[in-house]
Parts: sequence; C-alpha cells; structure tokens
Amino acid sequence: MSTAKRQSTVPAGPKPPVNFSSTVTIPKDAVLQGTHSITIQSETLIHPRARLDSNLGSILIGRRSIVQERAQIGVEPQNIDTAIRGGVSLGDYVVVEVNAVIEAGGTEIGDGSVVQVGSRIGSGAKIGETVVLSNGQQRADKRLADARKLGTLKQINVVRKMIRNDQDKFK
Amino acid sequence: MSRRQVKGDYIETETGNKVSRKANLLGTQNMVLGGKVVIQPEVMIRGDLVRTAPSSSSSGGTAAPSTTAIQTGRYCFFSKGVVLRPPGRRYKGQFSHMPMRIGHHVFIGQDTVVQAATIGDHARIGKNCVIGEFAIIKECVEVLDGAVVPPNMVIPNYSIVAGQPARVVGEVPEGGGPDENGLRGLYSTVGNNPQNPDM
Repeated sequence: MSTAKRQSTVPAGPKPPVNFSSTVTIPKDAVLQGTHSITIQSETLIHPRARLDSNLGSILIGRRSIVQERAQIGVEPQNIDTAIRGGVSLGDYVVVEVNAVIEAGGTEIGDGSVVQVGSRIGSGAKIGETVVLSNGQQRADKRLADARKLGTLKQINVVRKMIRNDQDKFK
Repeated sequence: MSRRQVKGDYIETETGNKVSRKANLLGTQNMVLGGKVVIQPEVMIRGDLVRTAPSSSSSGGTAAPSTTAIQTGRYCFFSKGVVLRPPGRRYKGQFSHMPMRIGHHVFIGQDTVVQAATIGDHARIGKNCVIGEFAIIKECVEVLDGAVVPPNMVIPNYSIVAGQPARVVGEVPEGGGPDENGLRGLYSTVGNNPQNPDM
C-alpha cells in the first residue's frame, strides 16, 4: 500500500556512464552515481549497498575484485587542502571490505590489496601490491600472492551465486 | 486510511522481534531471530551468505544442509548501522561462509561490524567496533567502544577487551542480575509504542 511513497530510497542523481564486463556481478541495490565513467572489469563482484561515486573523477575497478557492502569508493576528500583532482583506480584481486572509504583524487590501489573493515584511504594515496590496511595501519601480506588470489577467486565464484545480478539497471 | 497511522517505523513479529523498516535484511529466510530482538534502522544483516560446504557433523549425507546463516537468541539489540555478516573461509579447498550464532541478551553498539563465528550470552559490544572473522566471544564479555577484535580470536568468559588490536584488559565484576545489560528495559523503549525508559 505504501509502494507509491517508498519508491526512491536513493536520491535521483545523474546516472553515470558505465562500462561493465559481462561477467561482473552487481546487485540492484548497489549505488552508482556521478558524472564520470565507472569501469568494472571481468568477474568483479559488488555487494549490495556498496557505493560508487564518480562525481569527482572516473572509477576503474580491475578484474576479480570484491567490493563489499557499505564500502564507498570515490567520496569527497575529507581534507580539502591535500586533495588532488582525479578519480580512483583499483587493481586486480582487490578486496574492499565493509564500511571502507576510498577518497577520490588520483587514488590508486595495487593488485591484490585488501582494504579492511572501516578503513579510510585518503585522496591521492598510492598503495602498492598486496598490502593489508586496517585502521590507519598497513602491513605487507605474508601469504603467497598466488594462494591469496586463488582464495579471492573461489570466494567470488561462491558469492556470485548468492547475489542477484542486475547489471542492466545501471546501463 | 487510518491504517497508515497505525503502521509505525518498526515491524513487530509474532515472537516480539522489532525490526526497523529502514534496516537492510538480505536473505531473511536464512535468519533465525530468537524473539524480542530489536533491529534498529540501517542495520545490515547478510543472511544471504549461506554455508555452501557440507557440515562436517552430518557425515551421513542424508540430512539437508542447514541453511541458517545467522541465528540470534532472545533480547538481542542491534543498534543503528550494525553490520552482521557471516564469516567465510576456505574449507577443504572450497570457499564457504559459516553460520554465525549469537546468544541471548547480546547488545551491539552503533556502526559495529560483526563477522564473528559465535557471540555468547550477555555479551556487550560497544560502538564502532570491528569483530574479525571467526572470532569467538564467550559469555558476558564486554568489548569496549572502538575495539578491533582480530580474526580467529577467542575471548574467554567475563573478560573486558579493548584496543586495536583488542586485548583482554580486565574482568567483568561478579554479580549483576540475569539482565545486567538492561536489554529488557531497552526492548520496551523502542518500537511503535515505546514505553518510558524508567522501569
């Protein structure tokens, strides 16, 4: 009875130009907004309620990455003095966990990185390969890169069956 | 049209669970709420992440795999912005999520992300905490605000933990009634007809 009133939970912003691989899994309650392009490469998995904002620059997400729920990518930098213009680029096999925030502005995250729960990555940060971040600290991941990538891939293959893919909504 | 006014911000189930209409529950068919559970706005519960690996205990193979992803006890309270997410790992070469079990009278503070395997009865978890994957929190544990409990940590009964990464910093004093978290009182203060907090 209240369907007419509850239609828009998301404020109607501009629909960003998207460029998805056909193997991307993205549910309909992920939030994509902005004016620049959002590119997501093959076999990447986006969880519900993840938020990708390309207002400040384009977003590129590599292959076989995972963006978990409530992660925010491309948000406005917190510290305007040090902010740089530009977008966000994530490499391959990157895992962005729950509530993580990645600011826009030439931010680059290397292959195989894990951005852990609730961490925030500032504008212009360049993070190398296989670094784990949690709450302001970072450390190298000691596990073998190949084993970890295999683990990420297995996780994607299982979870993509649980998330209803709705790519067409964003096109 | 009078029904619209009756309809409140919470959905109250037969067993007395109060679920905010603004909560994001995914895979509700895989959740078991123990009764009188409060789920506040913006809580996200990932019941859709079910176990895919067969259970090791049911070696008979005839029993259907249990699809409960998240199970809670009575009088649990999930504050605004909490995320409950079953932990996942590789098990015998396959990736699988594992069910999360939460005991009775568990309080979880604002914006905390829980990926624990088990949370015991009467545990109290503060706000802005991160509970790592497969952490086991036993009975009556208190996790202070902002603590980051690392993955696989086992917290013994009656401990107080804090810090990043979390360590045991003390012990919960003896005593306290059967309702030391005050969750029965808290339960009656939310919902469509909230009662006064003073008993």
